[in-house]
Amino acid sequence: MQVKLEDKSGVSVVFVKGDIDINTSPDIKKFFDELIKDRKEKVVINLGDVSYVDSSGLATFVEILKKLRSYGGKLKLTNLSSKVRGLFEITKLTKLFDIFDEETAAIGSFQSGS
Amino acid sequence: MTEALRTKLQITNDSRLLKKASRELIDILKDRGIGEETLFDVQAGFEEALRNAMLHGNRLHPDKKVIVETEITFEQVTISVEDEGEGFDPDSLPDPTLEENLLKESGRGIYLIRHLMDRVRYENGGRRVVMTKYLKKRL
Repeated sequence: MQVKLEDKSGVSVVFVKGDIDINTSPDIKKFFDELIKDRKEKVVINLGDVSYVDSSGLATFVEILKKLRSYGGKLKLTNLSSKVRGLFEITKLTKLFDIFDEETAAIGSFQSGS
Repeated sequence: MTEALRTKLQITNDSRLLKKASRELIDILKDRGIGEETLFDVQAGFEEALRNAMLHGNRLHPDKKVIVETEITFEQVTISVEDEGEGFDPDSLPDPTLEENLLKESGRGIYLIRHLMDRVRYENGGRRVVMTKYLKKRL
């Protein structure tokens, strides 16, 4: 699993590559703890290179969302494969997360205030 | 018609071995021409069951084991995952999709298994889950 951060017009875009599961979730948490320590308010996670997420991974997204929200930060998810998106739909996490098809739309949504 | 394949596997309670066991099963199904959608559901259901067994059943105890039995036929794969824990009542778990539970960080594993697999039952006081997925070939 690999995680990369890019700043795009003031938005922190995090690219994850590999599975997000019981073995890799702790590393993802650590990575986001740094972003959260820096009080990043606009965060996008690009999941285009993630083919599998287990319930540990879903729990990690919920934890990151809660931490960001605690200081007014916002999180958007983008480029989910149909199967990964299906997991969010089955668990109704689509009610909790803003999910976009394209990264540019996710970044643009911060400008439009949604 | 492909013959039935039965395997029994004893896995040490180490989450790194979870992925290995899952890959081995998925490779067998891939060789039998099973479609990607079905492979994903089997992988997710199996890994969630193993994760529950290691984490919640055996409570990550290094001396405890998980027993996995699989039966693959032309029509379906049946997987049994049994831990050495205290067991639990699967019907007592809260629904993780209810509004008040959405922000909770746990409780989705068993819910996912029930949705991804076609038949699921618990035995031996919740220590063993037996899951079946009907197999669909690649189009």
